[in-house]
Amino acid sequence: MAVSHDLRTFKNAAWLGWQMEANWTDPFVFAIYSIVKPIAGSLILVFMYLVITNGETQTPFFSYMFIGNAFYMFVAEVLFGVTWVIHDDREHYMTLKQVYIAPIKFYTYIFGRAAIKIAITTIGVLVTLLFGVLVLGVEIDIGSVDWLVFISALIVGLLTILIMGLALGGITFLTAKHGQGINEGIAGVFYVLSGVIFPITVLPGWAQTISHLLPVTYWMEALRRGLSPDLMASLPGSSGLSDFSNLGILLTLALSAVAFFFISTAVFRYADRTARRKGKIDWTTSY
Amino acid sequence: MQPAVEVKGLTRVFEPKKKKEGKSVTALNNVDLRIESGELFGLLGPNGAGKTTLLKILSTLLLPTAGKAYVAGFDVEKDFTEVRKRINMVSGGEISGYGLLTVKENLWMFTQFYGMKNSVAKQRIDEMLAQFGLADKKDEKVRTLSTGQRQKMNVIRGFVTDPEIIFLDEPTLGLDVNASRVIRDFIVDWVQAKKNRTVLLTTHYMMEADQLCDRIAIIDDGRILACDIPENLKKLVKMNRTLKLDVTSLQDTTKFSSLPGVEQFTFQDDAERNQTSLKFILTDESAVTEIISEVQRKGARILSLQKTEPTLEDVFIKMVGKGFE
Amino acid sequence: MSDSWLVTNLRAIRGRAYPRVIGSKREMSWLFFDITLPLLTVSAYAYIYKYIQAPSEFVGFVILGGAMTAFWLNILWAMASQLYWEKEIGNLQLYLIAPISRMSILAGMAVGGLFMTSIRAAATMVIGILLFGITLSLASPGMLILVFVVTMISLYGMGMMFASLYLLLGREAYHLSNLLTEPVYLASGMYFPVRALGFWAAAGASIIPMTLGLDALRQLFYPSSGSEYGFLPVNTELAILAVLCVAFLWLSKYSLAYMEKLGKTTGRLTLRWQ
Repeated sequence: MAVSHDLRTFKNAAWLGWQMEANWTDPFVFAIYSIVKPIAGSLILVFMYLVITNGETQTPFFSYMFIGNAFYMFVAEVLFGVTWVIHDDREHYMTLKQVYIAPIKFYTYIFGRAAIKIAITTIGVLVTLLFGVLVLGVEIDIGSVDWLVFISALIVGLLTILIMGLALGGITFLTAKHGQGINEGIAGVFYVLSGVIFPITVLPGWAQTISHLLPVTYWMEALRRGLSPDLMASLPGSSGLSDFSNLGILLTLALSAVAFFFISTAVFRYADRTARRKGKIDWTTSY
Repeated sequence: MQPAVEVKGLTRVFEPKKKKEGKSVTALNNVDLRIESGELFGLLGPNGAGKTTLLKILSTLLLPTAGKAYVAGFDVEKDFTEVRKRINMVSGGEISGYGLLTVKENLWMFTQFYGMKNSVAKQRIDEMLAQFGLADKKDEKVRTLSTGQRQKMNVIRGFVTDPEIIFLDEPTLGLDVNASRVIRDFIVDWVQAKKNRTVLLTTHYMMEADQLCDRIAIIDDGRILACDIPENLKKLVKMNRTLKLDVTSLQDTTKFSSLPGVEQFTFQDDAERNQTSLKFILTDESAVTEIISEVQRKGARILSLQKTEPTLEDVFIKMVGKGFE
Repeated sequence: MSDSWLVTNLRAIRGRAYPRVIGSKREMSWLFFDITLPLLTVSAYAYIYKYIQAPSEFVGFVILGGAMTAFWLNILWAMASQLYWEKEIGNLQLYLIAPISRMSILAGMAVGGLFMTSIRAAATMVIGILLFGITLSLASPGMLILVFVVTMISLYGMGMMFASLYLLLGREAYHLSNLLTEPVYLASGMYFPVRALGFWAAAGASIIPMTLGLDALRQLFYPSSGSEYGFLPVNTELAILAVLCVAFLWLSKYSLAYMEKLGKTTGRLTLRWQ
């Protein structure tokens, strides 16, 4: 019965998330918006690259960068999405307290809202990858995809990001409106240190040490190995994780997911208690 | 003498954004109204009657679909800048301002939108905070205030700029007795303190309108149904007597409205106390006997009986046809 | 209230700026986020250029672009779409019934947010320069300041024009701001020389003041890069920016008035939760 209650909460939260994301306009405009935004983000990197290589995109590094940037959307959107849910509900619609005191698990509600973000972002990622492959010559061959590695990495990685989002959501309880910087910051840390758009070997030694502690680093590596197995082999130099086997990468990713599960739930519980103690569940900080 | 507010044939129709979202709504329908300078004027009506729409038009937030509205002699459509110099507005349940600022800072900020000099603004704010018993809260952040304190602050925000005309949209909504009384007393004193200060007040509380207002207009479905001083409005139901009965819980109230001598009947169940309140407007006093018999036939017991003179609520019920608010 | 229109509006600007200034003092967590975190995106792009062995000035381009994003984000989120949030909170109608110019409200928001925005931009520049060992030319400080000021005025004028749209919008406001973030970074050449987009695309993008402003600043900080990476000569870009200044300020006045009237006619000016 508790499970069905949680499922219902999850489903209703996901439905609400969909309404918030999509019903502000008609489906056509929403579709355009969902396509334009991710592609524009990718094109910044594309043009940065083209300026230096004089238009050459048929290189392993270009594909490396493009694929990483596409999947990074999950990181940015989910982390942002979770913190935004709390911020939005609290500051703008002032419904957070009503949801909070309802007899549901609040993190189930957050997961439901985040699930829709993942679903919408998946479309953005697919569109971006398709654009990359068809227009820019990104190296992805459907026939060569290692589906086991790719799907496993995708699922475990998304779960990990979702769990991290929970911790950030908890922290959002305690921060003022410019706490949006938190999600920008954490996502930014991954962007720089997790081999999203360049191999971590470019970074100074101390930064590489941090990179090896971040689950997104292994996620990016696993996704690329699954999606384009030959790509990583043809990349000049080491990606920083070349010594890991596919299984090793996946196991490390899974272990980090477990570790973050405990960290995130602890952070969330602490933040939740502190927010209640300090009366911050329904405070407004807009100025 | 130029009226404070004059409205002629005012109509406001809201069209849906998209056709599939529903039909158009006529919030105001050919409304005529005149409020003299120095009046404390009340606007009574149920939810959705058009009160807030009228206030929004008069405060230059909304344009009419047809008709004209003038505030202090200025057309709200063409001369809105002049109108704005002379008005202010306070709504019930308002959450304006910023929780991060203190009470005094919040109030000061709003005075700046009216170009008030610092020294004048600060003095007036201090005076009004003292008047409303909020002097000790002036350095507290707005988000720490209780509902009543917040609404008092909102009222101060509206009056601190010393407008000629102020629009009060249910200013005591949701407040306790003490807070409401403080605000009402302030409104009356404010109007009387200086010539040509005008208040247009919308409210659900009959007692409030009855006590405060020089004249009252009753509005429903976008139309003004009656407009007069409270005594004259009550005379509209003078020929009728009202009878109020509290009886033990009644399941079936169907026959009461068709009893001879009963012009209007409403009832309200109180499940907690297991009783029903019946209210009748009678054209013939002899109906009382028949009503009592009907109650007994239905197996209920009379707990209390009260015959009353018409009140504003009776006028409201007669005009609008809806029960207790 | 017999003070002049100008005095009234200056006081209004002061009044609306006040919550922003006080907010930045009372909720200090912004310092950490706004100083350190924007550096992350800048660092990522800088490392890409290092990896593909781009000329050293490209890292400087990225740092400059990263600093400028602070102002664009301020316009999008703290000014334009703030009107939408003010509507939701209930402040907008109180601003609109006050006898002040709408531009004063927006100017107050902009001025109030300038402190935080400037700190963010300056921190990105300074820390970026130190972190990546960048050398910038300061041979034309007067011109640098002039270009920067003119860019800001025209940018904020454009922002006010955008803000007029937000008077009418419902939740589209948030999504519009989202949509105008990265595409504008792309079109303005925030992280790469805009001439890489091709002449006509860059020319079209020049309607956004940041495009030419950033390009001019880059040419001034890297005088030798102008011929290879600059779009138009600095003086030409400055002249165009000056024209944009006037145009946007003028347009914003009329667009605010038009949108407000449209909002009052349709009833959407104070309609919440659209």
